[in-house]
Amino acid sequence: MTTLLEVNDIETYIGQYHILQGVSFQVKKGEVTVLLGRNGAGKTTSLRSIMGLNPIQDGRINFNGEDISKLATYHIANRGIGFVPEDQGIFGELTVEENMKIAMQKQDDATLARLDKILTLFPDLKTYWKKQGGYLSGGQKQMLSIARAYLNKNELLLIDEPSKGLAPIVVEKVMESIMEMKDETTIVLVEQNFRMAMGVGDTYYIIDDGRSVDTGNMKELADNEELKRKYLGIA
Amino acid sequence: MLTQIFILAIFAMSYDLLLGYTGIVSFGHAMFFGIGAYSTGVLLSRFEPTLLWLIVSMAVGMVIAAIVSYFVGLLTLRLSNHFYAMLTLALAGLFLVVAEKWRSLTLGNDGFTFRVPDIMRDRLSFYLICLLLMVAVFFLLMRLTNSPMGKVLVAVRENEARTQSLGFKTIHYKLISSVVAGVIASVAGSLYVMSLRFVNTSVFALDVTLDALLMTILGGVGTLIGPIIGAAIIEVSHHWLTELGKFYAIFERWIIFFGILYILAVMFFPKGIVGSLREIRWKRKPSKVKTKNKNKRIAG
Amino acid sequence: MDLLLNLTINGLATGMLIFLLAAGLTLIFGLMDVLNFAHGGLFAWGAYSGVWVYGMTGSFMAAIAGAILTGIILGFVTERFIIQPVYGNHVQQILITLGLMLVLSEMLKVVFGPNQIVASPPDYLAGSWQLGDVVIIKYRAFIILIGVMVFALVHYVLKNTKIGLTVRAGVMNKEMVQALGINIKKVFMLVFMIGSAMAALGGVLLAPYSGVIYAEMGMDFAILAFIVVVIGGMGNFVGSLFAAMLIGLSGAFMTYYVPDLSLAVNMLLMAVVLVVRPQGLFGVKG
Repeated sequence: MTTLLEVNDIETYIGQYHILQGVSFQVKKGEVTVLLGRNGAGKTTSLRSIMGLNPIQDGRINFNGEDISKLATYHIANRGIGFVPEDQGIFGELTVEENMKIAMQKQDDATLARLDKILTLFPDLKTYWKKQGGYLSGGQKQMLSIARAYLNKNELLLIDEPSKGLAPIVVEKVMESIMEMKDETTIVLVEQNFRMAMGVGDTYYIIDDGRSVDTGNMKELADNEELKRKYLGIA
Repeated sequence: MLTQIFILAIFAMSYDLLLGYTGIVSFGHAMFFGIGAYSTGVLLSRFEPTLLWLIVSMAVGMVIAAIVSYFVGLLTLRLSNHFYAMLTLALAGLFLVVAEKWRSLTLGNDGFTFRVPDIMRDRLSFYLICLLLMVAVFFLLMRLTNSPMGKVLVAVRENEARTQSLGFKTIHYKLISSVVAGVIASVAGSLYVMSLRFVNTSVFALDVTLDALLMTILGGVGTLIGPIIGAAIIEVSHHWLTELGKFYAIFERWIIFFGILYILAVMFFPKGIVGSLREIRWKRKPSKVKTKNKNKRIAG
Repeated sequence: MDLLLNLTINGLATGMLIFLLAAGLTLIFGLMDVLNFAHGGLFAWGAYSGVWVYGMTGSFMAAIAGAILTGIILGFVTERFIIQPVYGNHVQQILITLGLMLVLSEMLKVVFGPNQIVASPPDYLAGSWQLGDVVIIKYRAFIILIGVMVFALVHYVLKNTKIGLTVRAGVMNKEMVQALGINIKKVFMLVFMIGSAMAALGGVLLAPYSGVIYAEMGMDFAILAFIVVVIGGMGNFVGSLFAAMLIGLSGAFMTYYVPDLSLAVNMLLMAVVLVVRPQGLFGVKG
């Protein structure tokens, strides 16, 4: 399997704070790579650094063999990376329809087919098509955010804690959608919900104190109690 | 001309307290300058031009300036920089209009002349008084900014939310800063009209605020000594450009040069002359800079 | 009756001019987080360049086009060379745009001379209509018409086109707009240019209305526009229309009944709004 995204020893400052102090990971095409770690370890910042929202000071980010670490955010997005941020990034005063419309880069048949597919997956979005994004429930916002990122032909999706604050039944739904998208695109997932991570992940990386400290196959992690206790606080 | 420099330096230093130490951008500083100017002008022309009345008039100006700055601050200092700048600009505009319309008191744009106490008529003694006051204000502000309160003000400038979360009532500190700045500006206004023995509505004009801004920024924000240097440079070059204007018409519009200079200064030398000089001194001691950064890293 | 109607029309016409100025200000602020203190300077440049074109060509429509063009060019230059270098630093932005305001008004004096310039409406807009015992001055009706048209156009674009959606989305969440693959800087520049063009249009329309133009008019109107932006809510386009009408009407009535207090009343209005509803009367929720 080829490597789609290669994050190589990146360092990121936010203001005067040294948040990422050497994060490295490799994302293989077609896999779901899960970033695990405690709150404040640097998972969200890692995703934001890939998107260019928190530019890196040092290191390299290769996407499809191209160094994207110095590119502007919109260029990175146009290379084929979709982003579902932690706060979902819904435009609250725009309707569901308008939120989707902004995301739509092309209006070709393939895009419309994807739109159809995602609306079948998340029928709620269809029901509330004309409703303002700000009035959606937390789960619906998450669905809208994922749908928006899925709409374009992205090779890679960065999804930040999609299960956060959602009811278990909605988490199931989101998980299902990620499994569905997995066939077409590669995914980097930040997730605190270990069950969800187990359910969809292939490879894991653990980030602690701004550094990547461990990696392996998701299945192996399930049995490694020590690692789980040490970095994830679960056992 | 030196006297003018001293007076404007007092005014610019009061502005520096706001901009440089507290991080507040006020576009209405002329308000307080004008209040001082009119208090002195009106009282000295209505009553005997004695030293007593002069002191009373300056005190009246300071009290009015304190009251006005307190209420303006109370109303607007909670708001973001944008609002504050905009509102002070609008309020200063209001003061200008009031001064224009209230002709029975101010004679509008025509203004009026008045007599000043004898001691102020003497150029040398007036010069010395202005110098003395400038030095006094300098040390007063120095004292203030080096005091624990001054540290809080700088903290407000750097990060207001965090200062607040540390338990400081930031609005309280900002209010004190703006009242002190207002009162000192009023003193500068009183001295200014005394040097001219004439007052008209131009003391409320935006140009007055802009002068203070330019002097502070050019000299060095947050340094106190910077505004004094800035005042000197601006006054001297103003004088010089006006002279040139007699020969070349373009120099009559000297404000353009100041404006361009100002834009360039904001863009490229936001620290001003004094700040930039200090920075150069820093760079000469690279070891020190390094340790500082290291500390920061650990702190982060 | 006649008087009330006339004052209302006066107020609406003035309000429209303020709206043209304030709308750009509020859009730019909402999207870019930049409060452009030089906006009034663009207004004055619109007036001067428009009157100049009018004098050269004799066509008022050409004057309007010239003013808009001036606004677009100055807007581009301002955004690119003044705003972009200090992007993200509020204090520097505030300071630098005020400096630009100064330079813009002084440049007017250099280019067009320091004196007031007289302007009058074209023949077909001079005079008035007599409807029964009501007299309507044509030029004022014209200003109101143009204002309504501009409002409708911009409102339509914001509501229904992709670029309009992008602008509205940008006001809410700039990062996400970029993460969706849109170059927000281009959007910034476009909005800045449109805002400047609207200000310049307001300026040229004002010229025959007030009869004279002078270099400081930019600042005078900018202060009114600031008041409007505060009352209407920063970044709120529709709010700025209502607030501008409010200010225009209160200005017209106050000038007639208690002329000395007209600015004071507007300031008072603003102070009350700030204390009671700092997000503006028509403030955006959340």
